[in-house]
Amino acid sequence: MPEIAISTQKLSRRFGNLTAVDGIDLKVAAGQFFGFLGPNGAGKSTTIKVLTGLLAPTSGSVELLGMDFAAHPIEVKRQIGVVPEGMGLLERLTGSEYLQFVGRMYGLDRATTQRRAAELLDFMQLADRPKTLIADYSHGMQKKLALAAAVIHGPRILFLDEPFEGVDALAAGALKALLGRMTERGTTIFLTSHVLEIVERLCSHVSIIHKGKLVAQGSLEELRTGISRETGSKTTLEEIFLSIVGQDGTERPHLEELSWLM
Amino acid sequence: MANVAGRVGILTQVCLVAGLRWRMLRNGLRKKSNRLDLIGLIFVGIFSAFFVVGLSFAFFAGAYNFLSLGRSGWMTLLFWGIFGFWQLFPMFAAGFGAGFEFRTLLRFPLNLPSFYIISLAYGLADFSALASLCWLVSMTFGAGAAKPRVLPAMLVVVTLFVLLNVTLERLVGSWLERLLSRRRTRELFFVLFILSMVSLNLVEPITRRYGAVLRPLAQRLLPYLSWFPPSLAGKAIASAEQGHFGGVVLASAELLLYAGVFSGFLWVRYARQYRGEELSETAAPSPLAARTVSKVDDAPDPLSALSPQVAAVVRKELRYLTRNSFAFLTLIMPLIVVFLFSSMFSGRHPTTQHPVSPEMLFPGIMAYIVLILMAPAYNCFAFEGRGIQAYFMAPVRFREVFLGKNLLLLSVLAVEMCLALAALAWQLGLPSPPVFVATLSAIVFAVIGQLSLANWSSLNFPRKLEFGHMRGQRQSGMAVLIAFGAQVLFGGVSAAILFGGRLMGNRWFPAEAFTLLAAAGVGGYFSSLDALSRVAEKKKETLIEALCR
Repeated sequence: MPEIAISTQKLSRRFGNLTAVDGIDLKVAAGQFFGFLGPNGAGKSTTIKVLTGLLAPTSGSVELLGMDFAAHPIEVKRQIGVVPEGMGLLERLTGSEYLQFVGRMYGLDRATTQRRAAELLDFMQLADRPKTLIADYSHGMQKKLALAAAVIHGPRILFLDEPFEGVDALAAGALKALLGRMTERGTTIFLTSHVLEIVERLCSHVSIIHKGKLVAQGSLEELRTGISRETGSKTTLEEIFLSIVGQDGTERPHLEELSWLM
Repeated sequence: MANVAGRVGILTQVCLVAGLRWRMLRNGLRKKSNRLDLIGLIFVGIFSAFFVVGLSFAFFAGAYNFLSLGRSGWMTLLFWGIFGFWQLFPMFAAGFGAGFEFRTLLRFPLNLPSFYIISLAYGLADFSALASLCWLVSMTFGAGAAKPRVLPAMLVVVTLFVLLNVTLERLVGSWLERLLSRRRTRELFFVLFILSMVSLNLVEPITRRYGAVLRPLAQRLLPYLSWFPPSLAGKAIASAEQGHFGGVVLASAELLLYAGVFSGFLWVRYARQYRGEELSETAAPSPLAARTVSKVDDAPDPLSALSPQVAAVVRKELRYLTRNSFAFLTLIMPLIVVFLFSSMFSGRHPTTQHPVSPEMLFPGIMAYIVLILMAPAYNCFAFEGRGIQAYFMAPVRFREVFLGKNLLLLSVLAVEMCLALAALAWQLGLPSPPVFVATLSAIVFAVIGQLSLANWSSLNFPRKLEFGHMRGQRQSGMAVLIAFGAQVLFGGVSAAILFGGRLMGNRWFPAEAFTLLAAAGVGGYFSSLDALSRVAEKKKETLIEALCR
């Protein structure tokens, strides 16, 4: 039985009358590259926020690396890295200053922080503008910096909310390679993305959330087999996603209404 | 095949832009948090109406009297008043105005002449333009009532004056828009704006000291003003009143020339925008740039006595402080005020003619510094923005965050007080030892006592503020109330102790009492930190929601 990195039991989160996350039970094994999918407003970002301590659950529990988050928040946070929705950057610092701030907040010593910050800035191709404030970075540059900040302390679990959004193909390729290497070394990566091709290429296991509930979970092969059995043909992740999420047809746009465009 | 949109007339487009302005205003008020804005807007609207209508009567009366009494040359003053308001008001309002960049209209299928005309129409819908139009119409009625033969000239001059003003205002506005689109210039503008407001306080002392020198200089410069549009407009009306047709034509031609020159400049400016002027200052990475060699700073860490987390927060706060023009102003403001007060009161008191002693001025100035520098502490996460999430993602308790923030604030306060003390000693001399010690211990008591309250207020009533922005930049009403209450409370306690000392005839009593209170305050502060960490955990969602907007 593999070690479980992320585990939730009947995890729910409500905002007034709206139930954003509705009793989900997640199990992610250590070292997995895990894709968390869902349409807009399905509850992906809320789930990541609850898993990383940015939101408190309304009910249920979260265990990361066998530790209850609510009971040991500081110990758990030491082991995880997060690229949250909106990135959470301190925009009045330069890239280097921000990484050094984050490294020191995670308790790294000064020399290690400086060395890692410089190496990460080099890797992310952000080192050539040492005096530029983050406020003046492009969206893609900010995303890369947020990724650098999430890994500076060598986390055992990495939560990435839309990590490749706005990142150029060159940098995205290098990042994917880096993330692949991290999973080989045992880091668990929990990723949400709207780009299903990326998830299909990177992730070994996938969960799909729809209207706050988990509607599918398993390895890509398991999901493919399930759908292929129904349709009788080899399926892509996009087809799996559409067949699960768009089952009731409410999400499918009605093209005939836009006949004036065609 | 899809249908392609047909041509749209300029009038339709002007109406669409007017509708856009209205909807932006209306939708802005639909948010719950903007209900108070609506009430404020109603008050502002009533005040503005009184302002415009009242001055319309004044301009009518002015024009009527000047022409009736044969002082037609004084009409120039009225034109100068309108010109000044029309041009200066939008400049001051630029930072506070609606968040709409006019050039974004260029994504629609407009040709350059349409863009130009819509821009002028947009400019005429500004408050300053509408008010000025009302006043010009009133002046025209006043002039017509006083001297009907002046009316044709008045109509021509007012038309040219309106054209010239709206063009100049759009020209200046388009340059301001260009300047304010860049973060650095926007912040510089903000600093200049605040400094210019503060500088108004210097007018009286400068006039008092250098009035005799400045008056002849101003009188020598006055004739040159006759070449400016308001003087030309006044000159044209005066010529009409005296029946000098040539003078009217000449002054009107000069006004037309001004309008033509401004229109030319505005056309060039808009043509540049139309061709796709890039105002963004966003950096882009250059993949081919030489990689930097990873360097490690071997110098000893000056903050090594602190934990890494507290040191990181102190460093971050210091960087934010030096890059925040508004906070930077709060740093230099006390020193400016010390200089102003000590210069004004060192010779004589404004009411009693006696010099103010440092025994009074020293505690007063120190209290003022505390008042100014403590105010932002009541909303200390205001400038974090989305970065607030970094504190909650990191493995730290909020006691470290507060310690770092408070430590920097105390350091700044200490530096400010030392500088103010030096300035005061230079200008007036030092106070007596009992007053000196009592003031310092009172400050320790008041500051440390307020810090716990300020930290609690920051967690419970956060309000996002943005660097270099003036619009919508105000603290949470509750935080302001708490800050005010705390200042009154600590000020009241301090006053009672000082009064007690005087009543007992013991000059050292306040120093002893404040030292005891300061010690209690320090103990209370450290014991509050853990409780505040728990509050932060409870309030994190409110905090994140308020600051990540």
